Amino acid sequence: MSMPLFKAMFKIHGKNIFSYAFGAVMYQWLIIWIYPSIAKSSGMNDLLKSMPASIQRAFGLQSGFEKIGGFLAGEFYGLLFVLILIIFTVMISIQLISRLIDNTSMAYLLSTPVSRSKIVITQISMLLFGLFVICGFTAVGGLMGISFLIKNPIIDEQAFIQLNLIGFLLFMVVGGYSFLISCSMNDEKKAVGLATGLTVVFFALNLVSKLSEKLSWMKNITIFSLFNPQEIMKGNVAILPISMGLFLSAVLLFGISIVVFKNRDLPL
Amino acid sequence: MITLDGLTKKFSNGKGLFNIDLYVKKGEVYGYLGPNGAGKSTTIRHLMGYIKPTSGSATINSLNCWRNAAEIQKIVGYLPGEIGFLEGLNGLEFLKLLSGMKNMKSTKVRDALIERFQFDVNTPIRKMSKGMKQKVGIVAAFMNDPEVLILDEPTSGLDPLMQRVFIDLILEEKSRGKTILMSSHQFQEIERTCDRVAIIKDGSIIAQENVHELQKKQKKVFEVTVADEKDIQELKNSGLSISNISGKQVLIEVAGDYNHFLRAIANVNVVALNTRNLELEELFMHFYERKEVM
Repeated sequence: MSMPLFKAMFKIHGKNIFSYAFGAVMYQWLIIWIYPSIAKSSGMNDLLKSMPASIQRAFGLQSGFEKIGGFLAGEFYGLLFVLILIIFTVMISIQLISRLIDNTSMAYLLSTPVSRSKIVITQISMLLFGLFVICGFTAVGGLMGISFLIKNPIIDEQAFIQLNLIGFLLFMVVGGYSFLISCSMNDEKKAVGLATGLTVVFFALNLVSKLSEKLSWMKNITIFSLFNPQEIMKGNVAILPISMGLFLSAVLLFGISIVVFKNRDLPL
Repeated sequence: MITLDGLTKKFSNGKGLFNIDLYVKKGEVYGYLGPNGAGKSTTIRHLMGYIKPTSGSATINSLNCWRNAAEIQKIVGYLPGEIGFLEGLNGLEFLKLLSGMKNMKSTKVRDALIERFQFDVNTPIRKMSKGMKQKVGIVAAFMNDPEVLILDEPTSGLDPLMQRVFIDLILEEKSRGKTILMSSHQFQEIERTCDRVAIIKDGSIIAQENVHELQKKQKKVFEVTVADEKDIQELKNSGLSISNISGKQVLIEVAGDYNHFLRAIANVNVVALNTRNLELEELFMHFYERKEVM
């Protein structure tokens, strides 16, 4: 880890990270703010119940809106949280390595006594820092929003923190393979394309697997099926094994990234 | 100080470097000349440890450039041929980043260089012209006062005045005992600064020459324009080596014996006198052409 490099990277990416974090919290608060009006109208719950079960499952609506936690899990963590973090994670992973190879500025970083491994480790730290900030903001911001905007809220705080933690770990894995792609490719655009494509496929597989029983096997080939906001909020998920699994996969992917970057020819 | 020993790199398209042997002594300034695509930058990438040789080796100060890449950077300053900087920083922030990564304590050398090349370091990098970026790159390469300098086409993008400033900088560093390898296709700067020069073409070194020897051996060509036919006849009889006569202009080749030349032209009515300042260039053309025929 190189502190001067980390600081420079913070200068470049910091603004972006905090925009994503604030944006996510703002959206969260908006949803919390409209919750009371939706919870009161029994029509909304009836409407949801009238939708096909598969649609409810796919979009995380099956638990209805009786609790703010479930509402937030469905309306924010089910889709928007995931989309925001997909965009953030893929973009920053590619920008932290592949872009620097593509525009040859990596040549300058490597013309210092800081080794390739240290450079990659610094860039990984920047990615993890960004993810941590965004997920930290949504965890703390969400709880704050609920306590400010809802009268006498019923919320399982521990489950809510766990929800954000699993989200963080899930995107560590997304970051892990995006980073590996970033370290392996010379062309920034191709790297973005591949990392985005792979992530979109994973995301779509998860969605489709919930739509029909026949396709439910697909949940076994996508990491997004491990992130089940509503079930986590209900406390139906074994947090420890999933956390460990995600964490170890991410560590493995980052480890491979370091080895790949260390041993490859760089067209600088 | 810098050794390339049978350095070979084969790329999948059949291009690459083939069995490059090169040795740069401590305190020597070495020119590396060749047309675009000849393999100059590829050679330099090996020295910086960016690519791994297929066979053979590159070493600096007895350290292997691939295995000890990070270690080597402690004594090396590098100016890349392609200039890409981190977007989102200004010149000074970029230099601070590099001096931090190089563990530099003092900014004295850096500030003196900035002063010397006269540019505004606070300009955001994406708003910089090519010449300005080149200046930032030069400062980055020289600012930690490295023992060895590896410069890939260092004057590209600089205006003639700044090229001069740069050549002076090289001569200064040379007098302080620095070892310098610079690639170029500018013959003039090589001639003014380098002790020896290697010429590379299609991935192979086709000649290594001592620049001082070369200059001594080189013929000078004078363009003498005289007043009338009688003068031309006189020059022909003077025993000078005349390579070409067109109208009243006579091309005279002189190798070492300048007094003879001066005495001979003193006897004729000279209207205009020019030297052709292309010695090395002509030599290189000669090399290139010979290779082409083969």
